[in-house]
Amino acid sequence: MSVQSARRWGLVAQFPAPLKARFARNKLAVAGLLVVVLFFLFCFVGPLLYSTDQIHTDLTQVNLHPSGAHWLGTDAVGHDELGRLMYGGKVSLLVGLAAGVLATVIGTLWGSIAGYAGGWVDAVMMRVVDAGIAIPALFILLVVSAITTPGVPGLIVILGLVSWLVPSRLVRAETLTLKRRDYVLTLRAIGGTHGRAIARHILPNSVSTIVVAATFQVADAILLVAYVSYLGLGVQPPSTDWGGMLSAGLTAAYSGRWWLIVPPGLAIILVVCAFNAIGDGLRDAFDVRGRG
Amino acid sequence: MSPVRQRLLAGASLTTASLLLAGCSGSSGTSSSGSHDSINYALPANFTPNWILPIGTAAHLNSNNNAIASTLWEPLIAYDGSTGSMGWNKKGSVATAAAFAADNKSVTITLGDRHWSDGKPITSADVKFWFDLIKANKSQWAGYNPGKAPDNWTAFKTVDARHFTITFDKAYNPQWMLANELSQINPLPQHVWDKAGDAEKDWAYLNNAAKNISGYATNALWKTVSGPYAVKSFSTAGKVVLTANSKYDGGEKPAIPTVNLLPFTTADAEKNALRSGSVDYGYIEATDLDQKASFTAQGYTVKPWSGWAITYMPYNFNNPSIGAVFKQLYARQAVQRSIDQGSLAKVIFNGTAVPGYGPIPQAQSSSFLSATQKSNPYPFSTSAAKSLLSSHGWSEQGGVMTCTSPGTGAAQCGAGVAKGTKFQMQVLSQSGSTVTDNMMSAIQSSLAKTGIKFSIKTAPVNSVLSQTPQCTASQSICKWQLSFFGTAGSWYFPAFPTGDSLFQSKGGANFGNYSNADVDKLISASTTSSSTQEIQEYSAALAKDLPVIWLPEPDYQISVVKNGLGGFSQDPLANFHPAQWKWTS
Repeated sequence: MSVQSARRWGLVAQFPAPLKARFARNKLAVAGLLVVVLFFLFCFVGPLLYSTDQIHTDLTQVNLHPSGAHWLGTDAVGHDELGRLMYGGKVSLLVGLAAGVLATVIGTLWGSIAGYAGGWVDAVMMRVVDAGIAIPALFILLVVSAITTPGVPGLIVILGLVSWLVPSRLVRAETLTLKRRDYVLTLRAIGGTHGRAIARHILPNSVSTIVVAATFQVADAILLVAYVSYLGLGVQPPSTDWGGMLSAGLTAAYSGRWWLIVPPGLAIILVVCAFNAIGDGLRDAFDVRGRG
Repeated sequence: MSPVRQRLLAGASLTTASLLLAGCSGSSGTSSSGSHDSINYALPANFTPNWILPIGTAAHLNSNNNAIASTLWEPLIAYDGSTGSMGWNKKGSVATAAAFAADNKSVTITLGDRHWSDGKPITSADVKFWFDLIKANKSQWAGYNPGKAPDNWTAFKTVDARHFTITFDKAYNPQWMLANELSQINPLPQHVWDKAGDAEKDWAYLNNAAKNISGYATNALWKTVSGPYAVKSFSTAGKVVLTANSKYDGGEKPAIPTVNLLPFTTADAEKNALRSGSVDYGYIEATDLDQKASFTAQGYTVKPWSGWAITYMPYNFNNPSIGAVFKQLYARQAVQRSIDQGSLAKVIFNGTAVPGYGPIPQAQSSSFLSATQKSNPYPFSTSAAKSLLSSHGWSEQGGVMTCTSPGTGAAQCGAGVAKGTKFQMQVLSQSGSTVTDNMMSAIQSSLAKTGIKFSIKTAPVNSVLSQTPQCTASQSICKWQLSFFGTAGSWYFPAFPTGDSLFQSKGGANFGNYSNADVDKLISASTTSSSTQEIQEYSAALAKDLPVIWLPEPDYQISVVKNGLGGFSQDPLANFHPAQWKWTS
């Protein structure tokens, strides 16, 4: 009997394809990954190839149309817009990525402890999450930004602290299921500690949920940075980010200076969509249970 | 909807609004008020009229409230720029003459033959009623400044029904007294408003009545007026409709029967209303000036409205870390020489600002302005700024000037400046204005070229004002270093631009605690001397001594006025005068 025949008759186990192969089947996810990689190259390698002064203003070069000298024109204080897109993108991507990871780490720890401990600890911890979710993140951000003007590190911490609630719920739900598995119960029966149970079994088995949540958190964090900057409460000059560029360019909406609005707007849309597509692709790749 | 689609939509929404805006064009040119019997005037964004009593209190202090009240109750002496030049507009005043005594220690004022809207004559008793109210309740009056009116008015003597004399505590400059003090008097209908016969009780009664905004159009108290208009409706949401006072017998007869004062929550909302043609007299921002042609095509004329104001950034001389540096004149000179006001005015403000080099407004020509201030004692020069610092013991380390030679010698950093002190300072700047943000970025850039690190923190204007008060070094609130609240001009003067509250030691609006005994003497002299020499000397002294960072003075407003609306000048004191508006075609 050939292997093919044996498989057909169910005599040989059908192992799922490797994660990378399953992810590669999702064309949209691959495209998303490509877009993210290209944007990272654009923002972090681009300035090495296309050098511009983004620290000093140049009032003799303001609001210039796109040309050979300035591929995307200049803004209202004479910054080269293409260079600014790279410069602002660094902040957007860095803050988005770091805040997304921070939110996921906090949410994972909170959710796994709550789900594993159960009882009143779980009840108290999840009521904190419920209360946090009831307050709109944007409202909290506006209040905090009105009190203090955060730099990049501050923005990462603030965004991380308002974004961990949803991942914590997801991880808690996963933990509630995993903690009743035989291997966890066995570990406890032979004297394994709670910490070891969480670290060695619960978290590794929740990795698919955590990774997928993280991609969505990064996308959400990039949007939140854009919101806050759009409202004029983001990073301060000479730093900028795509939301801040969009906000600064809005006054030019009726003046035909499209290059101040369209590039940062498109960059936000593309990167956020790309991270979401990656998240969808990873979710499908990890979700082997649904396969026939 | 799948999560990915939800997120895609969320991601797209932010930019969609911008792109839609970018794609929109001006809308139809439908008429605004629809006839020449009315006019729609746009009030400043985010302002809601909330006070009708022609006596301002701190909680209701706003020039637009004041403009509405002055339209209803005509001032005794209208000293403003509504006629095209700064002076006494007798047509808009109840008084017709003011005769100062030879020693300038008293003034006798003559009232015109005028009547209230209920037919009763306007008499000296109506002025005395105002005088007594203010004397008895001066601490609650927004115009009160200790030592000034009414403290320096020692007596009020009624000569007859149309003449009275006010005596002062010493001799004063008549022009200053007319422009800055007597112009604050509003004859009030004593026969209607004097309910208790007691100034304190009447004050409480009138203020309580004025708190009821919804009663402005119905309460009989507010129906006896002396001005060209009366209230037809007054919405708590901010819309005010004025109707011509048919009994008005003053010099500024209203030409348009109905005036609609329209509130807007944002400047963008107002701009959209302009584009839709629903506003006859509105405004745009300086950054919108390149759209002038589109407004012109819609039948509007763009008319910049310059204010009688100065714009500046106060130093906090009491700041514990950088105050000692600010106290060094050479350091202030280096900062001032690093700022290219000409380029800021031309590029950032799109030509809607003029450079300002001292304490006297420079958008208008006036006899108060000194030649020193006019000629700019510290022209822009980064190299000169750098050399000022390096010749006083500073050297650049890591891109920031650092004090390397402390001490009080001529070539040293100066008293209180420790070795290693870096020349780095932070401004708390008003948020919400692209022009201000751009100006701060440009200043940051040019200061960096001198080696001065300038960081920017933004906050809403009320927050800026509350976080940058007068303070002493030991107070925790004294950490602020520089403050900016002048997107539309930092300080609007009365007609005579003295600096008593701004730059006199312990002046009420001297936020940075600037103190200079010579300047104090000049300020005092400018209010008492009859000549303009003292105020010119004051102008020159502060242009040279730099109590603040002088900045370009932006126009108060870039007005957009429907063609055919004319007959008026835009008052630099930032008041509007509906009685002067006329439809000419």
